[in-house]
Amino acid sequence: MTIKRNLITYGIALIIILVLNFILPRIMPGDPLMAIYGDEALVAMTPDLEAHLVERFALDQSLWQQFYAYITAMFQGDLGWSYYYNSSVLQVIFARLPWTLLVVGSSLVLSTLLGIVLGVESGWRRGSKTDRVMLTGLMSLNGFPDFFLGLVLLIVFGVLLGIAPLSGALTPYSGLSGLSFVLDVLKHAALPVAALTIAHLAGGYLLTRNTMITVLKEPFMLTAKAKGLSQNVLKYRHAGRNSLLPVITMTGIWLGRVVTGALFVELVFAYPGVGQLTYQALLSRDYPVIQGIFLIVAISVLIANFAVDLLYPKLDPRVSHAH
Amino acid sequence: MPRLFLAVLVISLLPALPACNDEETPASSPIKTYTIADSTGDWGYPSPYAHYSRGPGYVRMSFIFETLIWKNATEFVPQLAREWEYNEDDNSYTFRLQENVKWHDGADFTADDVVFTFDYTKDHPFQWVDNSIVESAAALDRYTVILYLNTPYAPFFQDVAGAQPILPRHIWENVTVPEEFLTADAVIGTGPYKLADYSKEHGTYLYEANDGYYLGKPVVREIRFVKISLEMTPAALKEGSVDSASIPAEVVGDLEGAGFTVISAPPSWNGKLTINHQKAPLSSKEFRQALTYAIDREALVQIVLRGHGLAGSPGMIPPTSVWYNPDTPQYVYNPGKAQQLIKGLGYTLENGYFYKDGQPLTLSLIAAADYKDVGQFIAQQLEQAGIEIEFQTLEAKTVDYKVGAWDFDLSIYGHGGLYEPSFLQRYILGEGFNSARYSINDELTQLLNEQLTEMDTDKRKDMVFRIQELYAEDLPALTLYYPISYWAHDGSMPLYYTMDGIAIGVPLTLNRMCFVQ
Amino acid sequence: MHISLKKELKQSHIGKAGIIILVLVITLAILAPFLSRYNPGQQSTASLLSPSGVHWLGTNQIGQDIWSQLLYGARTSLLVGFGVGIFSLILSVLFGISAALVGGLYDKIVMRIVDAFIVIPMVVVVILVAAYIKPDLPVLILLLAVLSWQGGARVIRAQALSLKESGHINASRTFGAGQLYIAWRHIVPDMGPILLVEFIYGVRRAVFMEAGLAFLGIGDPMLVSWGTMMRDAMKFSYLDVWRWWLVPAGVALSLTIIGLTFISHATESVLDPRLRGGAVA
Repeated sequence: MTIKRNLITYGIALIIILVLNFILPRIMPGDPLMAIYGDEALVAMTPDLEAHLVERFALDQSLWQQFYAYITAMFQGDLGWSYYYNSSVLQVIFARLPWTLLVVGSSLVLSTLLGIVLGVESGWRRGSKTDRVMLTGLMSLNGFPDFFLGLVLLIVFGVLLGIAPLSGALTPYSGLSGLSFVLDVLKHAALPVAALTIAHLAGGYLLTRNTMITVLKEPFMLTAKAKGLSQNVLKYRHAGRNSLLPVITMTGIWLGRVVTGALFVELVFAYPGVGQLTYQALLSRDYPVIQGIFLIVAISVLIANFAVDLLYPKLDPRVSHAH
Repeated sequence: MPRLFLAVLVISLLPALPACNDEETPASSPIKTYTIADSTGDWGYPSPYAHYSRGPGYVRMSFIFETLIWKNATEFVPQLAREWEYNEDDNSYTFRLQENVKWHDGADFTADDVVFTFDYTKDHPFQWVDNSIVESAAALDRYTVILYLNTPYAPFFQDVAGAQPILPRHIWENVTVPEEFLTADAVIGTGPYKLADYSKEHGTYLYEANDGYYLGKPVVREIRFVKISLEMTPAALKEGSVDSASIPAEVVGDLEGAGFTVISAPPSWNGKLTINHQKAPLSSKEFRQALTYAIDREALVQIVLRGHGLAGSPGMIPPTSVWYNPDTPQYVYNPGKAQQLIKGLGYTLENGYFYKDGQPLTLSLIAAADYKDVGQFIAQQLEQAGIEIEFQTLEAKTVDYKVGAWDFDLSIYGHGGLYEPSFLQRYILGEGFNSARYSINDELTQLLNEQLTEMDTDKRKDMVFRIQELYAEDLPALTLYYPISYWAHDGSMPLYYTMDGIAIGVPLTLNRMCFVQ
Repeated sequence: MHISLKKELKQSHIGKAGIIILVLVITLAILAPFLSRYNPGQQSTASLLSPSGVHWLGTNQIGQDIWSQLLYGARTSLLVGFGVGIFSLILSVLFGISAALVGGLYDKIVMRIVDAFIVIPMVVVVILVAAYIKPDLPVLILLLAVLSWQGGARVIRAQALSLKESGHINASRTFGAGQLYIAWRHIVPDMGPILLVEFIYGVRRAVFMEAGLAFLGIGDPMLVSWGTMMRDAMKFSYLDVWRWWLVPAGVALSLTIIGLTFISHATESVLDPRLRGGAVA
């Protein structure tokens, strides 16, 4: 696809996201004020306080005015002010982003690497018992939703065996620093990363395996074999490298979803990432935070895809020559 | 020998000294860190205009900021005010303040700060206290303040003097937008603890003891709040990473067996059936009474709460309260009587369902997903009585909205605050969606307003008793159940539930004074 | 030219395993009322019981029989899964084929929109919409279908484009066949295997999404769903009940998805012939 086509596509995607983002929360009947102060609040809400709050959150302006304000603010890097968290949306999101990146990033790297290696080995031995076992095993693992895996891991290792932390990203106020701090963080991230890695292992594996199968039939492989190259060189340097392309594309797409990819897992482990933030914001109808997250998701997806599009021709000269 | 006798005498008198609770005084050797678990974690920056509007948010702030008077397990106690008196003639309270109190930044606390607070909150209302009852505040001298009220106000101590945090004038007089005041200066108070750290995304708080506290050096050097979900707290308690937490009802026995102390608060929260009494046939009180007879509230507690609660009283006030009227009609489950009442309104029973003019009697019941189990139970019960029910769960805010707009028949809702009877006025006459909004019974309305200004407790009690009778007869809304919740701790601190809840009624064990003794 | 789907499936052990699993789940779902003694919605005071002769998997927090819930939960998953699968397929076919046959500006616009939707992460949009619209069953199926037809449309369009120029279609065109006739009588039937494969993908995605939404608590709480069961069980993870409450629901869900995965794996060679060739796996 040409760059221009891509840009148009991404442009449309961005617009769809922005409009959806803005319109949806406002379609529902209900007063945002009630969203914060309803339920169990023991509040003596005087009419004065109410008027004061309505003015503060600009809830009495027309939809168009709100939308216009939203777009212009966005271009200035201001994602708005969160009702619930009483702080700027950007701050709220960025405080949690590193944790999500840690967990999702690690599991992405692990599952991709592992998936590639297993896929290469499996594709090389296509049809054999090893291949069948790996294939069946990994596809079965793929069927387990990440939240189920996460829950079982948490119960077994956290509650029953007591060797994993029960929630959070670190031990609060433990006074740890340096290496012990890093270990503490890793300890807390271990189970979430494990759940995500296991659940998504099959993606990279299957793709690599499939590509491996087709690449192995290519003439150049025959040549390489005839040259008498060792198995490993054949597998990885020749076949494997060529099988990487689809995986890179897939990783590119996955990168874009990094931000919300761990939503379920973060919930199960009470991990303070953007996924859990999304869920909380949805529950409390915190419009600005929801909008902010979707914006960041949209932009990261588009950037990731764009980057892959730029990278692809460099990796596979056939593509650029085809045009 | 005489010395030994004296020692024994002294030792045997020790239990009579005032303690944090009525059981044995625990060792008051300092505790380094006390860890409390909370399932939500983040309740906002613990400054009066920044904490989230629910109970736990107020409690986080209350470790730092203090009020004129406070409460322990049984009564009101002095706090920033050491003495007070009420002047009936001009409706004023005179508070004599403590004289050696310093703000956390070293400045002196004086009557000026109190006067400033009540002035400041006129322009910047504190979300939890309706100070409109205070007409003005004046400092008589450096340590004496007079608050003039508009009218006599019975719940003044509970709702205002015991809830309004006092702000330091030298810091807040320059703050024009208090909701955005989030610097370190915003948590300068007089309380026994200072904020050492707060993390929004991890949902944690760290408080360190204020050794200059005027009522004594706090026993606990550091208090930590950590975020752990409710289902994980039993494991956390057992492994020792948490000292104290709210626990699910099912593990009470297990934790007690493991050596933990488990306590529970007198109920302060009720689940309610909200009724649209402006719409026929719900507009007739006989029909509402029929509904009440048709719902077995005891069975509801057994099934939906698995026994951990009390059946709702039709007078709203829970039977554990001192304000409870034991003669309130209880409408013991009687589906036969229910059907009789409905027939009296012109309905006929055919094939187990009621009809009138060929139309079946159908009502819609809406509730948020959290109340799904209660809703299904109610729907089943009413169907058995012959009323067709369309039960639907909707998004919580949508339910609130529809109820607020009178676009419903029946709905399930809940609210807390059932301690001080001032809540009766709020939840019967108030205009919000969580109020019954019922003002057509003149005697009831009059009593509800009068009891707020009746300063004689006995007379007020009579009024509240009568209110329950009237309310239980008219039933504009039906209290279904009071859930009971449990708190477990390792026994190192003498935690208790504050009389009538902390401040305006927060049923938590986290009274700051417990950590001071 | 034509890859026989039946042959592919017959040769594949994995494919056969998948079919067996799926048939098992479907059977259990259909026979649910006969295999369970209790109504899954029936509340009682017998809460949080361990498995017994009366309650094969014990009871949940309001005394409902877990075994019944498991069986009826299968119904929900399959209903949503197949419902979305069909609806999504219809949309894919409509847009994919029309884009291929009509071409021109229409094709360009449709494909740009399709690509745009593919780029947007579906999980997140579904959660957003579902949280505000709080869907009941038909609305949920509609919502999921509307957000998942795009991938299939691309594939179908590509296939339709190549079929468009094939011999027999050209021939019928010379006989005066109109676009609609060609689409309906020639192109769609030729794409049989591909449609089935896309359908299975759709079903699998939908089963996962429905459970995920129910787990988050933003699906329809009145539906008996494995996701809701897992969510409720999670709240009691400090007790032993998870063994017979959480695990069966999770395993049932996983098994269903695995079955569908196996089937779609076996039929993948239909989409990419290069994958064929003595496939025993």
